[in-house]
Amino acid sequence: MFHNNLKIAWRSLKTNRMFSGINILGLSLGLAITIVLFLFISYERSFDKEYEHKEEIFRVLVQTDESYGKEILCTAPAAVAPAIKTDIPSVKKAARILKHGFGETAFVKVGNTNFLEKELYWCDPELFEIFNIKILEGRSYKELERPNTVALSQSTAKRYFGSEDPIGKTILVDNEDQLEVVGIFPDFASNSSISFNAIGSFSSTFAFKEPSWGNSSFETYVQLDPGASIATTELQMQSVLDKNVDKAGQWFSLTLQPLENVHLFSAGYVNSYSKHIGDISEIRNLTFLALLILLIACVNYMNLMTAKSQKRTKDVGINKTLGASSKSLVIRFYAETGLVTLISLFIGIGISALLLPAFNTITGMELEMSLLFRLEMLTGLVVFWLTTTLVAGSYPAFYLSKSSPNAALNPGSKGGKGVINLRKGLVVLQFAASVVLIVSVTVIYQQLEFMQQQKLGYEPENTIAVTTGGIRGTSIKQTLVKEFKSLSMVSDVAMAQGFPGISVSGRTLFKNENDENGTQISTNHSDAQVIELLKLNLLAGKTLPLVKQEGDTLVEVVLNKKAIEYLGYSPEEAVGKKVLIGGFGEKARIMGVVDNFNYESLHRPIGAYAFHNRRSEAKSFVLLRVKSADLTDTMHQLKSTFESVITDAAFEYVFLDKNMERLYAQEHKTALMGLIFCVLAIFVACLGLFGLAAFTAEQRKKEIGVRKVLGASVLGITQMLSKDFLKLVLVAVTIAFPMAYWLMTNWLHDFAYRVTIGWTVFALAGILALFIALVTVSFQAISAARANPVKSLRTE
Amino acid sequence: MLLQLRNIFKWVQQGGQRVFLLKDINLEVQEGEFISIMGPSGSGKSTLLNVIGMLDTFDEGEYDFLSESVHTLKEKYRSNLYKEYIGFVFQSYHLLDDLTVEENLEMPLLYKNIKGSERKALVADMLDRFNIVGKKDLFPAQLSGGQQQLVGVARALIGKPKLILADEPTGNLNSQQSEEIMQLFKKLNEEEGVTIIQVTHSEKNAEYGSRIINLLDGRKI
Repeated sequence: MFHNNLKIAWRSLKTNRMFSGINILGLSLGLAITIVLFLFISYERSFDKEYEHKEEIFRVLVQTDESYGKEILCTAPAAVAPAIKTDIPSVKKAARILKHGFGETAFVKVGNTNFLEKELYWCDPELFEIFNIKILEGRSYKELERPNTVALSQSTAKRYFGSEDPIGKTILVDNEDQLEVVGIFPDFASNSSISFNAIGSFSSTFAFKEPSWGNSSFETYVQLDPGASIATTELQMQSVLDKNVDKAGQWFSLTLQPLENVHLFSAGYVNSYSKHIGDISEIRNLTFLALLILLIACVNYMNLMTAKSQKRTKDVGINKTLGASSKSLVIRFYAETGLVTLISLFIGIGISALLLPAFNTITGMELEMSLLFRLEMLTGLVVFWLTTTLVAGSYPAFYLSKSSPNAALNPGSKGGKGVINLRKGLVVLQFAASVVLIVSVTVIYQQLEFMQQQKLGYEPENTIAVTTGGIRGTSIKQTLVKEFKSLSMVSDVAMAQGFPGISVSGRTLFKNENDENGTQISTNHSDAQVIELLKLNLLAGKTLPLVKQEGDTLVEVVLNKKAIEYLGYSPEEAVGKKVLIGGFGEKARIMGVVDNFNYESLHRPIGAYAFHNRRSEAKSFVLLRVKSADLTDTMHQLKSTFESVITDAAFEYVFLDKNMERLYAQEHKTALMGLIFCVLAIFVACLGLFGLAAFTAEQRKKEIGVRKVLGASVLGITQMLSKDFLKLVLVAVTIAFPMAYWLMTNWLHDFAYRVTIGWTVFALAGILALFIALVTVSFQAISAARANPVKSLRTE
Repeated sequence: MLLQLRNIFKWVQQGGQRVFLLKDINLEVQEGEFISIMGPSGSGKSTLLNVIGMLDTFDEGEYDFLSESVHTLKEKYRSNLYKEYIGFVFQSYHLLDDLTVEENLEMPLLYKNIKGSERKALVADMLDRFNIVGKKDLFPAQLSGGQQQLVGVARALIGKPKLILADEPTGNLNSQQSEEIMQLFKKLNEEEGVTIIQVTHSEKNAEYGSRIINLLDGRKI
């Protein structure tokens, strides 16, 4: 019987080639998307699952108070780890991680070769115990307790030393620190939140001897006793904090984040060292969308299956008179659906293999198809197959097999009106979903365009930042600046701690001595030329003094408009006034005021900003404005100039505009994904409409025949058939507009600077949906209208 | 006695009024009879046949089939009953388009859960008997109307039913094809004792039967 069911199913697939094709295509696409997202989601969920003590490991989070913007930092002060380990019994182990140079690229010299190392971290050796990191070569991770030692990952050791044995050899970091290689550890898995190429001993750092409670730059992991209460430990952490920092100076509180939450639940947290940060809401949205598309594909299947229902109800009737029970027919329809979904699944796997590279490019992931062939994935696929079969097959199976044999064989009887309404409802749903997607994608694009064209307040084009963090000595940097200046294509040169698009030092700006809270201000230690170089709009006063004498303790600042607004001055009033900035020692003098500019992503409103000349931070970048002729040639010349001056560091640079684009990578990703989903959803929805149109055309075959005999034209009949569907699409559009409006208003809410949603977007989406629907339907309608009426009338 | 209908009524509600499709039908059918039901269009011939074949229900009255009272049986037992004892032949043949002649014949046996080897033997017998061995791999669309109806009759017979119900079996056939099918029915009835009830418009076809029932407006006359 089973064999027979399959045989019948296969034959009916073969006889209705077009329908089967559409059916399988729709389902395959739905499944392909689901498979890709399934891979993505399972990869995202696999983070940090391999660590043996994963349940006991926590990251210390720092929650800042209002004056620091109520943010959650992933990095804690250096004093936290030793203090809580000593004072809290349930904290078994604690380790600090400091990214080299607070996140700057390290210049590593091995023998005479220079390397750029982006992943050098300084860590407490207990990290090896917490995460159970093995030492492959060398004696023990305990060697890292000594200052000036380093452990390398296997691949890094190979990169530095080739086939030589690295143990006992030294590397030179930033031309300053000689580090002895004491161990080799295996490379971290790509699905690990922590990942290092080189681990330097924490005892080499400035923070080791006198760990402070102020500088919050150290990612801190702790291992608790099994079964220790997190809430209790957090309370104990608060009392440790109280013991060491008086209440007034506490600008933060401490919490613990379980390791399993580190990857997916840290979106929006600041200062994370992880290379990949997942986002649970993104995963939820994608899951929802994938399931929606799969559901739409299943709905299509039902629609198309029942499009041939007249013939099928007849078949059901015959089979029933031959003795078939409803049950056996249900099984038969499920067998047919199962066959179709199985074929679709295989095609879907094929399509997903084609989609995966594109998906990887968009998301920057490295997913592989081979992940699919693990046991749990295969089980997942079987579950997929069965669920899809059950969902997609339910309607034909239960609706069709229920019809009574007499009604089925009697040509006069008609299908239930409720069923037709249900089907119309499903098509409306599909189209509504598509229209929502069209509107959303359009708005996302408009917002992206808007952000790119937004007046930034400075000109990032043709501006290059060259990293000089690893270069020691001011004089050599001065030489480099001089050399750059002498190049014909360079119009401006300035040294600075940072530039718009990357974070600089956060400090607090006070109105006066009695101002208790103050406001957060970003401070950038920079040369005088930076104002002109960035083409900032100077509203009043002038730039910083060109030369600052050695030993001159007076600090000069150029503030932005936001800062003087907080102080309550107009730009003209502000010039010459003294201002109190936390950590600057004495009051700084305001030299000039610049107009506001977007130094961060447009997600955040502009805050106070100051360029200053206090020697508290190193100027790690040389900023260059170049004439935009031949960029390749320019870069080439810059490189050779750099290398002629600096022999012991590699040339590293970013374009400011490229760097700004990076800030919107997430939106670009969302927009691209949205676009793909949108196109697919519309395509699949069109398949549904096509099915419904075909169904109606078949149902009204006789009517069309009679009308033609009575003299109706092809155009008239096409209009008659299309009109009904356009009504459905209009209903869908009406439902979709408010939903899309609501969704997009919510999405735009995240941006400090945003577009307003205009009616044109809706008009565009509506017209597009109608047009697509019209094309799909008229294809069927015209072929029905052109059919020879004699044929359709003769069959009765 | 094969079956007995007592005071069968069937109606539909139309605008608050009952429109009777069958009105007080009493009928006894003995095994081995060949009955023709006649009457004008809309007189209830097909409805009566469907009621007898248990494809349709009735609103009032009693129906015994082989001393089982059909009106009290559940759907499942009723379908078991007709699966076992009744074969249907239709005016428009109602062969399954996606199946070959051979597979069409096999279908009722599948629903009776007969084993593969036995099914093959029964189908082969039937193909032989109806002289359609050469056509066994063809699909219905590849056959003429007469040949399709031949397959239809063969399919109705393959389950060895006691009763064959034929709803205008020759309605779509030309006179020569009709003649052949009617001869076949006669032979089945006489030589194998199969009970046959047919609905027909044609006086000539009705002559083949042993008894004629005339219907008018759902009533026996």
